[in-house]
Amino acid sequence: MKNIQILTVLAVLLLSTVLVYASGNGAAEEEYDEDTYGPKSPIVWVKPVKSVVFEHKIHTMGAELDCDSCHDDLFEMEAGAAEENDDFTMQTLYEGGYCGACHDGSTAFASNTRCTACHIGVRGHARLIGEVVGEKEH
Amino acid sequence: MKIDDLEKIESEDISNLPSAERRAFLKLGFAVSGMYLGGSVLSLTSVRNAHASGGVIPEPGKYPYNPHYSMVLRERLCIDCEQCKDACVKTNNVPSYGFRTTILEKRRSLGGDKYETIFMPVLCNHCNRPPCVRVCPTTATWKDEKTGIVVMNPSRCIGCKTCMAACPYNARYFKEETRAVDKCDFCLESRLSKGKITTACVEACPADVRVFGNLADPESRVFQLVHSPETMVWVLRPETGAVPNVFYINS
Repeated sequence: MKNIQILTVLAVLLLSTVLVYASGNGAAEEEYDEDTYGPKSPIVWVKPVKSVVFEHKIHTMGAELDCDSCHDDLFEMEAGAAEENDDFTMQTLYEGGYCGACHDGSTAFASNTRCTACHIGVRGHARLIGEVVGEKEH
Repeated sequence: MKIDDLEKIESEDISNLPSAERRAFLKLGFAVSGMYLGGSVLSLTSVRNAHASGGVIPEPGKYPYNPHYSMVLRERLCIDCEQCKDACVKTNNVPSYGFRTTILEKRRSLGGDKYETIFMPVLCNHCNRPPCVRVCPTTATWKDEKTGIVVMNPSRCIGCKTCMAACPYNARYFKEETRAVDKCDFCLESRLSKGKITTACVEACPADVRVFGNLADPESRVFQLVHSPETMVWVLRPETGAVPNVFYINS
């Protein structure tokens, strides 16, 4: 009898934890505040190559960076301003510019690794803006 | 049976066999083994350029052509910017509905809900045993004797599309403008024959994914990439036995 009581208590505890966790996640989803965390929609650069994606959410909410970690030192606030610069290249990143300030292999994964984490390509870009990619998916 | 009786019986060993019978038996043996021998000699001659048995990478010095043109794709560097595709379209007048080279996309689980994307450039593999060449009823496509490039003669093509069905790599398309099948020729017509040493896609690639060269030359970069130690080298659909010349590596 005692065993059953203990089991019941445990089950209730487990269930409530799961519920709290789930609702917490849900709340976080709703609580995304553009003033705090930056624009919700991803930034997509198409120069010098198509196409590179940047998500504020992953970096501010996820990695807990402040706005002034990157603005206006590494990037201007205006979306797409960086890609107008001639030095917006992988070489600059390797030398610690732009994304390379953190993506250096110690703070975050190095700029010369995991290419497709940011480079979503022509196909990824088309999917992002809702275009149907012509070929069959494999 | 007693020893005396046994000695009277005719021996069953070959000393008592009539020579005519022995000859007939030997003839039969020669005929059977000759037939097998003949068969294996015939099959040897027809596949003398094939190297499928020892894995997908041919042994150095056993490349059937010189220059033996081949391409190495450093797959993990591809970012699907598609500058190779654009360059190919421009160089070889490829219409919008077809392609000579394209980029495919794979998704690999990293555990949890995380995935990584892998972009896979594809093109004609210029196989040593090209199924497309084998099936063409008008010999409109063949392996160039000097370079091993699988080439097309559009004027000889009747548009039956059998080669398209035979190709394991989906590397052929029917070009309405010429009413013929069109495919990658490693830029033989548009560039190599005019003295250039690389293809348009290789020249356009900003990430150094595509490496083109002569596999028969140990000094070439393709040779060194394919034969470098501790490198994973693979080809697409090796089970077809087509012995492709486009190699993929991950370093």
